[in-house]
Amino acid sequence: MSKDIDLSVEFCGVNFKNPFLLSSSPVSNSAEMVEKAFDAGWGGVVFKTLNSGRLSIIHPSPRMNSINYGNQKEVAVQNVEQISDRPLKDNLMDFLYLKKNYPDRPIVASIMGFFEEEWAYLAKVAEDNGADMLELNFSCPHMSIEGSGHKVGQSFHLIEKFTSTVKNSVSIPVMAKMTPNITDMREPAMYAKNGGADAIAAINTVRGISQIGLDDWVPKPNVFGKSTVSGTSGPAIKPIGLKFIAEMAQCKELGLPLSGMGGIETWIDALEYIAVGATILQATTGVMHYGYRVVEDLIEGLSDFMAGRNITKITDLVGKALPNLQETENFELDRQGVVNFDMARCIGCGQCVVVCHDAGGQALDWDSEKRRPLPIEEKCLSCMLCQFVCPVQGMINYKEMPNSWQRKETAVRDSGVEKDVKYEVFNKEPPKVCSD
Amino acid sequence: MPVTYKGWRIWTVKYEDNFKTMPKGFGYAQATAEVNRCLLCHDAPCSKECPADTKPAEFIRKFRLKNVTGAIRTIKENNILGGACGVLCPTNRLCEKACSAKFVSDDKPEGADRPIQIGKIQRFLVEYAWQTGFIPIEKKDEKTEKIAVVGSGPGGLSCAAELAKNGYPVTIFESRPEPGGVLRYGVISSRFDMDFLEREINDVTALGVDIQCNSPIDKKAGAEKLLDDGYSAVFMATGLWAAASLKNNKNEIFGLYSSVDYLSALRDGRFNEMVENIEDKTVAVIGGGSVAMDCIQTASKIGAKDVYLVYRRSYAQMPAEPEERIEAMEDGVHFILLNQLTDYVVNKDNQIEGVKLVRTRLGDSDESGRRKPEIISDSEWVLDADVVIEAIGNTALENSPEWYPSVTVDEKNLIKVAPETGKTNVDGIFAGGDAVRGPALVVQAVQDGKTAARAIVEYLKN
Ligand SMILES: Cc1cc2nc3c(=O)[nH]c(=O)nc-3n(C[C@H](O)[C@H](O)[C@H](O)COP(=O)(O)OP(=O)(O)OC[C@H]3O[C@@H](n4cnc5c(N)ncnc54)[C@H](O)[C@@H]3O)c2cc1C
Ligand SMILES: Cc1cc2nc3c(=O)[nH]c(=O)nc-3n(C[C@H](O)[C@H](O)[C@H](O)COP(=O)(O)O)c2cc1C
Ligand code: SF4
Repeated sequence: MSKDIDLSVEFCGVNFKNPFLLSSSPVSNSAEMVEKAFDAGWGGVVFKTLNSGRLSIIHPSPRMNSINYGNQKEVAVQNVEQISDRPLKDNLMDFLYLKKNYPDRPIVASIMGFFEEEWAYLAKVAEDNGADMLELNFSCPHMSIEGSGHKVGQSFHLIEKFTSTVKNSVSIPVMAKMTPNITDMREPAMYAKNGGADAIAAINTVRGISQIGLDDWVPKPNVFGKSTVSGTSGPAIKPIGLKFIAEMAQCKELGLPLSGMGGIETWIDALEYIAVGATILQATTGVMHYGYRVVEDLIEGLSDFMAGRNITKITDLVGKALPNLQETENFELDRQGVVNFDMARCIGCGQCVVVCHDAGGQALDWDSEKRRPLPIEEKCLSCMLCQFVCPVQGMINYKEMPNSWQRKETAVRDSGVEKDVKYEVFNKEPPKVCSD
Repeated sequence: MPVTYKGWRIWTVKYEDNFKTMPKGFGYAQATAEVNRCLLCHDAPCSKECPADTKPAEFIRKFRLKNVTGAIRTIKENNILGGACGVLCPTNRLCEKACSAKFVSDDKPEGADRPIQIGKIQRFLVEYAWQTGFIPIEKKDEKTEKIAVVGSGPGGLSCAAELAKNGYPVTIFESRPEPGGVLRYGVISSRFDMDFLEREINDVTALGVDIQCNSPIDKKAGAEKLLDDGYSAVFMATGLWAAASLKNNKNEIFGLYSSVDYLSALRDGRFNEMVENIEDKTVAVIGGGSVAMDCIQTASKIGAKDVYLVYRRSYAQMPAEPEERIEAMEDGVHFILLNQLTDYVVNKDNQIEGVKLVRTRLGDSDESGRRKPEIISDSEWVLDADVVIEAIGNTALENSPEWYPSVTVDEKNLIKVAPETGKTNVDGIFAGGDAVRGPALVVQAVQDGKTAARAIVEYLKN
């Protein structure tokens, strides 16, 4: 691993030796745990969301369920965990311990209140006990009380109100953590900004149902015969997280630094979040699956990638992919292509033939003697389904065709029925939309 | 080897350990992992190589898509002994061979680097059905024509099940005290155990098949008589229960066994007696096939001092499966290759003391494509042995043609049939399995049973 690689980032004036933080969850539940994570190399922590002590917190039992795919475990995890069930004072003492022993690792205190005084109180005690930054949890997905968790995240004026309450109570930077259980995150993010937020963190878990018990009809996790719609995390939600981060990063009006999360396990996931505009990253499910040690691979993998590309500062990569993320109307639709088979490497499983016939362009015949696909180039849709199923990596590739090339139209099955077709060409214009 | 405890020799421990049960099969997670490796080929090669028309590609796909019951149905509807085949088939030269052989390429991605363990997945699915109580087979409307099946080995069981599925009342006549044929009295328990056999036979009787044990059809024209007694058709699957031997018609020699007799003895109550004969003794097994392997494996497990395998060709020509051969060597069996049995050495009490062997060399290939052993003159020698087991091929009982005198048999007393129907020359009498093919495989007997059952259904329509 190259020594010259600089993974350090500055975020809202706080310095992190690397952009990898534990996100607020069981992985950041106590100093004993966080200490171990720091020893493994994590750059900082967003501590498990503090509770003021006003309500006693009891986690449902069991509180999680794993979504598996084939042999792959934890493609996603479903949880109904509550905010921290530890006494506030214990958590604050743990802050002091960590600040003393790991002065170079910032602590972000995640807080969640139900009304203004509570938000202000939590913000203040966190600051007073060494928190370097605050994360406002507007996004806990299984809160049923109006005015808490994701219910706040969905009532935009509350975001603004509570953010400004917190901002007025402390001097450390404040980041708002958003729920993905809305259509467009830019709008609530703007409310947070108007309330004074210094940064946006996203995403919290996606509300969902992971599995239904078919013996007892109780969805999972089965909390003694009952379940609830609750938060989905892990690799399966990465596309959703990337989208929200990218849209906020592209929003000039917002213009706040972003902390990205949702399905980060490998350095590639991390780099993807950076490429769409995240400066610091957070992870939970990756740690719940593999442990704190994943940070070694996040750091080493990312550093080696950068060394290979002669990039020394990680911050140079923030938002790298954004210029290429555009609306479909900007596509060059006159450029077309087909797939190209490196037939010498084919092993003859024929999966491509199955999918091309049943879901593609019927552009692959089958030589059953030699067990090889026989491509019919002019019928290929370039849907790439054949490549997706091909077990030989890199055997099926995209090839652009010259401008003169024409794809053969999908034939009508029986032109004999033309006389029976009931049809008139559609020629109406859409109604004029009033712009004011 | 027996365990000695305070002067007592304890057999049961070893018996349980080494003989009674076979190794566990796949569990759900292992089976799922293996199924996930499968590439789900188009035009799947594995599905073309099963002698009983099993479609591994289909049951694997169903399992992969969590249609576990459907996967079980695919297996069991086609092959009522799908579990036995999953355990006993030499899959490395059947479906699994096709699985790997098709990948002619420099690339060996996951799933193509080694064959999918189809036999093990099949076994798992059958066991899973037993575990969960899933019954995959439905019966059709009741029919009236009674059908007799002679022999309850794989051939008979398969035919009976197929007919019962079609609604016919079927009775199996079995000469031995328990059903199963070679599966019970031949194959050793450490490869295929009684529990498993019982469960799979249950699947047959659950269809309404009646198995009459201790009911040999060995009177003169016994088969023809079944037709007279009101059975509309008869399926003969009596197998091969005589052993080829050098001895032919000589007086009894103590300590000399045929593989048929020796292996049955381990299963039919003579186990302890056989252990007494073999423990700490020198055993010589003659032959190079899978049956010989079963004999040497048991002899070494019982605790013979030395086990010799005497085979007249060389290692590469042995018909036994490669794994069996390697396992035998690992077990410490001494392979005496390129040696042919010429006579027995017997003392005055007619007790065996060894075998006379002559050395051979390999000549040209014979009709089986393997190189023929040629005797080297003046090379006789004697191998001392307390017990000799001949495993040089099973044959039809000499008097078997008398059970069905109107049926045409060949010079080896194998029944002649039309292969695509199992029909003999006699209207209403069908046959299959080893009694027709000579020594073959469980899966082939299963197929013969099915083929004949379908032909019987057709025959009864007319
Ligand atoms: C030791 C040994 C190991 C083997 N291992 C394997 C293996 O691992 N895998 C594999 O695929 N194949 C194996 N085979 C071969 C396989 O077992 C046979 O091909 C198969 O059992 C043949 O089935 P079958 O129904 O034709 O005959 P059998 O299994 O021989 O059954 C015939 C039945 O008919 C009964 N019978 C005979 N005469 C009469 C009568 N007159 N009246 C009533 N009943 C009668 C017998 O008692 C017996 O129960 C092995 C064979 C042997 C001997
Ligand atoms: C069991 C569990 C508990 C969580 N608890 C909290 C919490 O208390 N506060 C919070 O802001 N986010 C909480 N989260 C959300 C995570 O911090 C994170 O936003 C989400 O899991 C997405 O990231 P991931 O895919 O890396 O897990 C929790 C997640 C899980 C799985
Ligand atoms: S890209 Fe689509 S249409 Fe073209 S060959 Fe592959 S599967 Fe068929």
